[in-house]
Amino acid sequence: MSEKLSGFISANNVVLDLDAKDREDAIRQLAEILQKNGNVSNAAAFCQDVLEREAMTTTGIGNNIAIPHGKSAAVTETTMMFAKTTTPLEWQSLDGSKVNIIFLMAVAPQAKGNAHLKMLANLSGRLMDDDFVAAIKQAQTVEAVLKIIKK
Amino acid sequence: MSKKIVAVTACIAGIAHTYMAAQNLKKYAKKEGYDIKVETQGAMGMENRLAQDEIDAADVVIFAVDTVVAEPDRFEGKPVLKVGTSEVVKDGKAAIDQAIALVN
Repeated sequence: MSEKLSGFISANNVVLDLDAKDREDAIRQLAEILQKNGNVSNAAAFCQDVLEREAMTTTGIGNNIAIPHGKSAAVTETTMMFAKTTTPLEWQSLDGSKVNIIFLMAVAPQAKGNAHLKMLANLSGRLMDDDFVAAIKQAQTVEAVLKIIKK
Repeated sequence: MSKKIVAVTACIAGIAHTYMAAQNLKKYAKKEGYDIKVETQGAMGMENRLAQDEIDAADVVIFAVDTVVAEPDRFEGKPVLKVGTSEVVKDGKAAIDQAIALVN
């Protein structure tokens, strides 16, 4: 798995000082980075799809973590962005906590059976692991974040 | 003998909550000493599909779903706890406890 993961996420997918004023602003800024990285063809359209998913039920899973995600025609390659925010954001989280850790998952429409989709599924499962969450919270550098996610 | 649980998880997008709910059920079943097997019905299709004999042998079924369960006939006649994926992500222990309470 690690071989594929190295192509899946790199320093371009990590932001440690996201200065966002609210949930929507955070998603928009991260969508724009995905467009710059070449994973999303239209940041605004992707952002819209993510917000539509967000409107169904919150993706604030508790523990100060949110995992906004969307399957969107604007995604050209399934990937994710990791961000820590400079200020905690309101996200209507399951446990009421404000969010300062965001995993934004971008999924291409035809991703069924896709290796990257599998990695997002694995990553989602690991968010239930207290040790993984503690390590991610402590990570202060891009390298540290990548190492934990790729482990 | 410890109680046997089988579960199905499925969310709307099939990207994240399906897999978080599956892990959290496994985590708390293990903590409380129950056997569990979880089938995920997500964007990658049906994975870790439950065999009919596994379902038949289970004491209780958990559907952690925000959508319909595929092939529900397999579970006919079994006691089923139905919850949303977010509830299980928020509190996996409560879901396991509620399921066991159905058959204790």
